[in-house]
Amino acid sequence: MSLREVFEGYPERRYIMFGGKGGLGKTTLSATCAFWLASHGKRVLLFSVDPQASLSDIFQRDIFGKGPVPIVPNLWAQEVDADRRIREYQDEIRKKILDMYGFDRVPEEIDNYISAASAEPAMEESAIFDAVVDIIVQGDYDYYIYDLVPLGHALYYLSMAKVYDEWINKITKLREEMGQYDRVAATLRRQENVEEDKILQELLYIKGRINASSQILTDKVRTAFFFVLVPEEMIILDTRKAAELFSRFDVPVAGYVVNRVLPPELEQEQIPVYLKNRIAMQKRHLEGIKNIFGNQILAYVPEMDRDVTGLPMIEKLAERLFT
Amino acid sequence: MTDENKPKKGGIFQVFKDIVYGMSSHEMTRHAVRSRASMEHLFILITMGDLLGVPILPPYYSLRLLPYVTPQISTWKRRMLRERDITDTLG
Repeated sequence: MSLREVFEGYPERRYIMFGGKGGLGKTTLSATCAFWLASHGKRVLLFSVDPQASLSDIFQRDIFGKGPVPIVPNLWAQEVDADRRIREYQDEIRKKILDMYGFDRVPEEIDNYISAASAEPAMEESAIFDAVVDIIVQGDYDYYIYDLVPLGHALYYLSMAKVYDEWINKITKLREEMGQYDRVAATLRRQENVEEDKILQELLYIKGRINASSQILTDKVRTAFFFVLVPEEMIILDTRKAAELFSRFDVPVAGYVVNRVLPPELEQEQIPVYLKNRIAMQKRHLEGIKNIFGNQILAYVPEMDRDVTGLPMIEKLAERLFT
Repeated sequence: MTDENKPKKGGIFQVFKDIVYGMSSHEMTRHAVRSRASMEHLFILITMGDLLGVPILPPYYSLRLLPYVTPQISTWKRRMLRERDITDTLG
């Protein structure tokens, strides 16, 4: 099966993700795929969940923090400004405290806590995670293409959804138990506690957001996750390990794309020994890849003779990838 | 002013009701309120552990809950950080 057949055969797969180790071409393939779908009349949003996003680089224009930016007809690209999102979120929390209690200023201790939260290592990822929910909930596009973070982070991202989900379930349960004690005391004292419900409502809201995001990551009907790899020993081993881990998280792996394959016809030409050795090495590893992943390999992408940046190069690659 | 602080009317019947309440449900109510307070502190610890330097989980979503527990934060910290001795268990 080819990449084209996968898209044509499964039009209900609207959430497309390319994952793999850093520097293997996730952004390139995401952009190429988005470009091809858009040129076939689909409305596509390509967005980055990487704090070090590189969509601006590949499209050679600054789209950072500007919302969905139109690139070509039917294609929009978006890079989330996580820092700004965190700042706005912190201000929102401060304002809520002021409004709720009529304070002139947020108590120092609380304010320090809010400020310190932005230094948490998980904050940036969480903010992006949350932004993705906003992007997806709007549902304006036929396809959502995730430009993912490198593998290790992607696993963290996936496990975060699971951890958050379990955490929220536990504290929601605790909160509900607290409500039971409250009701006992309130019935006897004829009191009502409005705040309880608000916290529970917040928890349910948070739960809804986390579920929206993690359900998509594990949706076998609407989601397709493609691994990008190159014919190199370490990468093959890592990809294999990651694929096992991803399946443990119930991520629907739709296939593998082998990138940076040196054109074998080069062998017929007068080439230096160095290049000859590299081609021989790749040949060996391509055999290995075929043995491991078999018919799940959807495409072999040739090593291009220059950087894949800018629309003409993306178009050229799309032609090769989807023939 | 809450209901229980208002001067109660109803004469001898009300006095009888209060006595029955005191004998039967008062202890239960007190227990419920105390358990509820302990759970509240547990809840804040789980969600706002960072405030004590105990980062339990990423704070992004727990920040959303902060406004609702703001008034309880200082009593909670006092309770969590105070020294404890044997008499605590008798309380």
